[in-house]
Amino acid sequence: MRPEFVQTSMGIIGSLGFALLFGIRGTKPLGCIALGSGIGWTVYLVSVAGGHGKAFGMLASSLVIAACSEILARVIKAPVILLLVPMLIPEIPGGDLYYTMYSLVEGDTDKFASLLQLVLAEAGAIALGIILASYAAGLVNNIHRHVHPTVHSPTSKK
Amino acid sequence: MDRKETYSRPQPAECLTCALDAGELLLAYGAEVSRVEDTIQRLEHVCGFEQVDVFTITSSIVATVRLPDGEALTQSRRIKARVTNLGKVAEINALSRRFCAGLLTLAEFRQAVQDVRDERPAPPWMELLLYMVISFSLSVFFGGTLADGVAASLSGMVLFAMIRMSATLQMNSLLQTAICSAVTALAVLLLVGASIGVHPDKIMIGNIMLVIPGIQLTTSLRDMINGDTISGLLNLSEAILKAISVALGFALVLLAGGV
Repeated sequence: MRPEFVQTSMGIIGSLGFALLFGIRGTKPLGCIALGSGIGWTVYLVSVAGGHGKAFGMLASSLVIAACSEILARVIKAPVILLLVPMLIPEIPGGDLYYTMYSLVEGDTDKFASLLQLVLAEAGAIALGIILASYAAGLVNNIHRHVHPTVHSPTSKK
Repeated sequence: MDRKETYSRPQPAECLTCALDAGELLLAYGAEVSRVEDTIQRLEHVCGFEQVDVFTITSSIVATVRLPDGEALTQSRRIKARVTNLGKVAEINALSRRFCAGLLTLAEFRQAVQDVRDERPAPPWMELLLYMVISFSLSVFFGGTLADGVAASLSGMVLFAMIRMSATLQMNSLLQTAICSAVTALAVLLLVGASIGVHPDKIMIGNIMLVIPGIQLTTSLRDMINGDTISGLLNLSEAILKAISVALGFALVLLAGGV
């Protein structure tokens, strides 16, 4: 088996594990989470294979994941956060965070500085991806509300 | 409020209490601040209040409603402990939607919210299993071998036992995190010493993912983006402190172990 395939499936299992740990039950949300998690990591791998940096890969994948969770949440009528949080598990820079800490313990300040920068860039990229997708979803929602005012009763909260 | 008076419709204070119950649970189970405020506001409007003002931060909720006769009513809640349970967030969200759509009476809604709170938690063996599965999969995900994954699931068991134990001791949560991390790191070093697993770093990364406040970081950023800056900052500083205590716990053992 190709290592990318193994990695993506492990990421999906990790996402599902966290989803269950966070009390998410039912095949529909869990299926959506597996799908989004897999797509997200594939986007990251493709973008890194295309010669982009890690942070750009994180931005691209979190953007796609946030978009997936916004769309799927509307399809299965669940809060966005229910899908978004578990889907993002593979993107959380746990590995780089560990090495940052490790270099600090080692006393290797140069390595620590560059790794810290990398972790912050990755976390920032993920946040930016979520922001952009969330604003885009809000925009689409607003446009839809203007075009079809009757569809949106005052109590329709996504 | 005069208790002798009998209303055909529910008492205003009861409506407010009920809405705050729902809001409190949402917040305690890890919903975004904006969702909590929005939910309380919607519930109160359905209850027929003129003006509703809700202020929520991660640790408290204050809600004031104006009654039709001009009187104002305020209640507040203090949220001390928070556990992420997104399933319950979704359930309460669905209940409040149904209430707002008029499908539930106040009494039914209140009972349903209490039922969600009192639902039996997942059995410990299931959580233990999930800890093992998550440790295994993420250890392999971050580049570990199959043996590393197995070692990670074993040290994940240690981590789970430590978390359960320290939770019953009710220690300071930062100290608790540091101790749990330290014992887990020790377990990893022992496992590698017993030649179960090859790369201690990959094994530990699998375990770190369970204690690192990555979710909190995401929510804090979301809160800040939504304009709830105070909540975002509170959450962010909490997440940073927790990350430091995790690092401290692992670092102590790594230094002592000379890895």
